[in-house]
Amino acid sequence: MNISGESLGTFLARQTVQAATPLVMAGLGELVAELTGVINIGIEGLMLMGCIAGYAAAGISGSGQMGLAAAILTAMGTAAIFAGVTIWAAADQIVAGAAVNILAVGASGLAWFFYQTTRQAAHQSVSLGPQVGFQSVALPWLSRVPFFGPVLFDQYMLFYAAVILALLVWLLVHHTRTGAILRALGDAPEACQAAGISVRTWRTAAVLFAGACAGAAGAYLSIMRTHAFASDMTGGQGFVVLSLVIFGRWTIPGLVAGCLLFGGINSLQQTLQTTRYTSHSTFMHALQHIPFEFFQMLPYVVALLALATLSRSSPGPRYLGQAWKQ
Amino acid sequence: MLVLENISKAFGPVQALNNISLAIAPGCVQGILGENGAGKTTLMNILFGLIRPDRGQIRLNGQVVAVRSPRVAQKIGIGMVHQHFKLAPALSVTENLALAVGRNFGLLHRAVFRQRITALANRLHWAVNPDSLVGDLNVGQQQRVEIIKALLGGGKILILDEPTAVLTPQEVDELIPAVRSLAEAGITVIFISHKLSEVTRLCDRIAVLRRGEMVFAGPTGELSSGEIAQRMLGTQSAVPTLGASSAAPGPIRLLLSRVCCPVPGRHGVKPLLDNIDLSVRAGEIVGIAGVEGNGQTSLMDAILGSLPIRSGVIMLNGRDLRHEAHFRRARQFACIPEDRQGQGLVLSLSLTANLMLRSYRNPEFSRFGLRRVQAWRAQAAELIRSFDIRCAGVDVPIQALSGGNQQKALIARELCGHPPVILAVNPTRGLDIGATAFVLQQLAAARRRGGAILLIHSDLDELLSLSDRVMVMYAGQLFPTHWPAVDRAVIGRMMMGVAPQAA
Repeated sequence: MNISGESLGTFLARQTVQAATPLVMAGLGELVAELTGVINIGIEGLMLMGCIAGYAAAGISGSGQMGLAAAILTAMGTAAIFAGVTIWAAADQIVAGAAVNILAVGASGLAWFFYQTTRQAAHQSVSLGPQVGFQSVALPWLSRVPFFGPVLFDQYMLFYAAVILALLVWLLVHHTRTGAILRALGDAPEACQAAGISVRTWRTAAVLFAGACAGAAGAYLSIMRTHAFASDMTGGQGFVVLSLVIFGRWTIPGLVAGCLLFGGINSLQQTLQTTRYTSHSTFMHALQHIPFEFFQMLPYVVALLALATLSRSSPGPRYLGQAWKQ
Repeated sequence: MLVLENISKAFGPVQALNNISLAIAPGCVQGILGENGAGKTTLMNILFGLIRPDRGQIRLNGQVVAVRSPRVAQKIGIGMVHQHFKLAPALSVTENLALAVGRNFGLLHRAVFRQRITALANRLHWAVNPDSLVGDLNVGQQQRVEIIKALLGGGKILILDEPTAVLTPQEVDELIPAVRSLAEAGITVIFISHKLSEVTRLCDRIAVLRRGEMVFAGPTGELSSGEIAQRMLGTQSAVPTLGASSAAPGPIRLLLSRVCCPVPGRHGVKPLLDNIDLSVRAGEIVGIAGVEGNGQTSLMDAILGSLPIRSGVIMLNGRDLRHEAHFRRARQFACIPEDRQGQGLVLSLSLTANLMLRSYRNPEFSRFGLRRVQAWRAQAAELIRSFDIRCAGVDVPIQALSGGNQQKALIARELCGHPPVILAVNPTRGLDIGATAFVLQQLAAARRRGGAILLIHSDLDELLSLSDRVMVMYAGQLFPTHWPAVDRAVIGRMMMGVAPQAA
């Protein structure tokens, strides 16, 4: 099958990278937060807040950059509530994270309703203008390399940002004193305390960073990838991020590999869903009788299997999920 | 020259320190001795800036210094190694040290740190690999990392807070020359301990605290060990008087025959337990000596049933235990486990609840599945009285008790029903002299009542003083000895694996 002249392989690889980008983005933040000992299962909610804030701000201001900034700030604000409740008031992180998810569903739905009604009352379009969202940016020279060009060098800005962020976080975690502190916060907070490092302040900073990353990932979903908002549009991707951090054994290369695996299976199932109606092969024809929900389920089945088989010997940070009381 | 002048500190009505003065010369190893609660740790916390004194001052090289915080203490060259290490096991030695003494937030200069660590370690004749993960090091090596951490910032005065409490006897033997080499390098070492023998072996000068008062300060040789103990304890007697063992032991209560345990995991080479033969009769104490890590824990687990055995027989009162469920089996033993806080007590429960953990199902203490509160309280009060547990009441959380009193509570619970078979592992570890004597006396009393006691203990002197028969555990094997017909040194050599058959 050809879409805009691409071979199927290139198309799939491109789709994989695009599906993996928001997962890597949100995953880097969650990874850093978990290294410091805070597990934020509200990452799904934070992404959803990023989706709606980014979309609404982009629609109102007419600028994708404003949308991105609004998404990051909104998700950070929500993460700040989570940090206050779990780090400073020592509430249970799982319960607080679940509350963030529920809060985000309601808050984003409400915001979406107000956005629609005010736009319609002012006789303005609810959808984003063609130039409001981000367009993909083709890097000169590199984008013309066969296969790798269209897959890696003709992408949205946020893809390049995610690549650079992954490198920076890797450098930070493994080659700076800050990284040693981050890892020690989840491994031996009493050692940090003894060294005069404020455990709570540092953990708060890590959670806010995770919020910013999740917000950017949300903006990617609504402004760049789909140009639309729908309630609950994250569809469990935040939870996938959580499992990918475990899958990657709290390492950055592992996380990225997991994101690519999940993104790959996801784009494969999407392609299967469409090609079974257009292809002439009898095999593809037979697949028409399978409900589409089955295909949607596949990436999650693979994620579960991968978690069950690969992550047995990875205990994770010792103090993960435990509040620090001085 | 470090001088403490007229230091006093009160916590509420308790005078923790009363007018303490002490001068410590550079390069001197100063021992601070005292029972638990004598004020040693309070004094050191004042010196390290964790607590402010009510009165008195600290002078360093003639100048008065105000040690307001640990950070200030580090700045003027005072480092402290706490009893519980402050290290991150998932990080390398270099990273741990960078975390503690580094200042920058940029790139980690591993090469520089590596060089500083190696230079310091070489000066002390220690082998420390800066790149190994702290979690892979044994306790003794971790302690060295802590010492290096305290000195890396240019520390000249090092406080070691009960450094030997967490070490095996072998590691203590390694620590002592290491501390000497620190002193030779011009570092002042303050060595806090309640173990007399270590302090007299190691320290140039000693200071003895009792109930917040300085009762002696001077060179180590000035007083004999007996005199020092006398001052530490006041009127209490230092050497526990143990009842003589009964002349004729009774029938065999516990019997292990040819017990083998398979190799754990993939890495181990030696079996955990190798052909263990052991019997304990009523009215005798069988002591198992050995350097820790030679299978003592596995032996205990195998008897209690938490470690499956591959072959052999374990019998209690002539009954084969192999096919009994673990929980039913463990209930038949009185057990004083090594990890008293993890396995012996439930720290989140009250003293009373902890005392009742073994007997709460007796009809005397429960009716229709509900506890009989009055009976519980009466029983707890009785145990508190007869086992001399110092506490503020029967309902206090067990956590509020000192380590010695927690151990007394554990022993009260395990020994109160006159159990026929008692298993005890390191029952006096971390206890002061008074509590140690009490524990040993209780075990001797249980023997007089006809209890069969298996005692696994890393303190050889206590073990030898208490046991009727002594066996040595080495590399998963158990070797009988002819104690008391053989010399103590022979047993020491067997513990090191030298010529076990000859003894």
